[in-house]
Amino acid sequence: MNTISENYVPGHAAAAPQAGAVKLTMVLSGAVFALMMVFGLLMRAAQGQWIDLDAALFYQLLTAHGAGMVGTAALSGAAIMWYFCGRHLVLSGGIFWAFLGLFLLGVVLILGAIFIGGYGGAWTFLFPLPALSGGAWEAGAAAAFMLGYTAIGVGFLLYYLELGRRIHARYGSLVRALGWNLILGREDNDPPPPAIVAAAAVTIFNSIGIILGAAVLVASLVHLLVPGFEVDALLAKNLIYFFGHVFINASIYMAVTAVYEILPEYTGKPWKSNRLFAIAWNAVLIFVMAVYWHHLLQDVVMPPWMLVVGQLVSYFSGIPLIAVTAFSTFLYVRGSRMTWDLASSLLVLSVAGWSVGSIPASIDGMISVNKVMHNTMWVPGHFHTYLLLGEVVMAFGFMAWLVRGKTISQMDGLDRAAFVTYLAGAAGFVTVFLFSGAASIPRRWAVHYEEWLAHDRIGTLFGGLVVLGTLVFVLRFAARLGRREG
Amino acid sequence: MKMTVLALLAAAEAIALRQAAEASPVQHVLVQMPLLVLAGVLISWDMRGRRRVWAVPLLLTALTAFLFWMLPRSVDWALTPAGETAKYLSLPLLLGVPLRLSWPWLAPVLRGFLKANVLSMLGVLGFLYTHAPLRICNSYLVSAQQDLGFAFLQLAVVLACIWAVPVLFGHPRWLPSGSAGCSKCGA
Repeated sequence: MNTISENYVPGHAAAAPQAGAVKLTMVLSGAVFALMMVFGLLMRAAQGQWIDLDAALFYQLLTAHGAGMVGTAALSGAAIMWYFCGRHLVLSGGIFWAFLGLFLLGVVLILGAIFIGGYGGAWTFLFPLPALSGGAWEAGAAAAFMLGYTAIGVGFLLYYLELGRRIHARYGSLVRALGWNLILGREDNDPPPPAIVAAAAVTIFNSIGIILGAAVLVASLVHLLVPGFEVDALLAKNLIYFFGHVFINASIYMAVTAVYEILPEYTGKPWKSNRLFAIAWNAVLIFVMAVYWHHLLQDVVMPPWMLVVGQLVSYFSGIPLIAVTAFSTFLYVRGSRMTWDLASSLLVLSVAGWSVGSIPASIDGMISVNKVMHNTMWVPGHFHTYLLLGEVVMAFGFMAWLVRGKTISQMDGLDRAAFVTYLAGAAGFVTVFLFSGAASIPRRWAVHYEEWLAHDRIGTLFGGLVVLGTLVFVLRFAARLGRREG
Repeated sequence: MKMTVLALLAAAEAIALRQAAEASPVQHVLVQMPLLVLAGVLISWDMRGRRRVWAVPLLLTALTAFLFWMLPRSVDWALTPAGETAKYLSLPLLLGVPLRLSWPWLAPVLRGFLKANVLSMLGVLGFLYTHAPLRICNSYLVSAQQDLGFAFLQLAVVLACIWAVPVLFGHPRWLPSGSAGCSKCGA
């Protein structure tokens, strides 16, 4: 057992801005993560024919699972980034509460649309599917689903406007907060810390994504209510995937601030911005917006150069991540004699999982592979690696750190068991998905052939382990919330 | 005085564009109507917004007028004698003036939200006008309607750049501060 390293930059650890709001958000996030994982488990068990699930309900669960997981990943990432940016900026608590309120309003609308209205058109609301339900749901249900997204988008827009204006007020411009002085070799007496560099980049690209997402959402709503108004399907798909890709990536890029701010407490070495770090984040800013075309590699009507750019940027976009965050994490941890408690273990695992997840993503980003693999389980395999072993683990690591207290001690038996259970479950679960993809098992099918059941059943078992580990993490966090620091 | 002259010039230019507005929806919606709003903004440039409590009602007035004139049906109506009179009066007085008087009192996040919303709505209008399978405005051809749709998208890009550059690269020294209120208005 030891205390926080004396080499750590003072002042950082002391600040706990709006901790109450952030803790409440993390409790909600943890609960929704667990619930969505149960939905996922039910779907895998139904595919494996261990339980009987009506196909309509399967697609409703699929929609709730997708929208819920993406939304909660973003919510938890936003809470984490808000918390750590609050160490460097004075942020308005009112905006965070408005953000949370709008988010919850959106959740109510989405859940109502799915489980009352019967909407099952997947989280991507791809035009014109919401309007072509074949009688499975009414236009009102699809409209409620999109209004829910709109409410969440407005909440996030307020969040980024507040963050952006505070960064602008503190650093004078967003490019300075992005570390351009470091990149250009200019003198800067107050260089932005890593959390601010990340926040500036995410604020820019996710604001653009939300504005474009709002445009396609409202256009789709008009189409739903006045079917005579058509929307150009290819343009709508481009906008939806730009919005969706940027939004889910932003959730990881927000949550990674936990790694930058928490790990130095364990290693004793402050994580500072440098030229390479700033270049990497500026590259991320461009790549995350240019890479979404890899979602449209099967759309033969797309201009070929866009698809080529999508493939090339898929390769490049892994470099800043692996070269900077993963490599830096390795260097920080190596030889630091850090104490491996639940928080530090989860945070290091999250960087590893995130990095590993980029490999199946890059493979699927190849046009020749994508032609065969895009509609198989390979794709959920890749994004579950990013999320189950990346963003969600970052969120759990942050939660463990929030209730850790001032002393750092080795993991106790329950923590170790939960960590190992979760790691084994998540690694096995995503591996089964990837194997299923390699075996050409299609994704999004409610009913599976006899030959695929072994995959589904093994996946269900691993999924059960993930749910078990998650329940321990979340219940442990909730139980320790009221405890005094010690 | 200078602002009053500029306001009158903007209004005169808008009236001079009367025939062009009938010929082209781009000139009507994206030149004449903004000129009328600009006339209202300029005429109230030196007015003092007396109290913060008026900011929200003024903003709501401006937004209501804005929403009304966004409707394609209103654009059609604006070419009739009654509609034209309503346009010449309401755009400066119910949109330009209240917008100018309320703007300095608005919180920065609300201003940012309004700007972001303008960009999104221009995108939506671009979507609708370029792909609508019917004539949305009876007074104009489908091809002119599509031109307007593309012009909405171009305007969205231009406004996005104008609004993003100071945030990204810092506020230019030669421009008055845009975020800390307005001394002339008392905000």
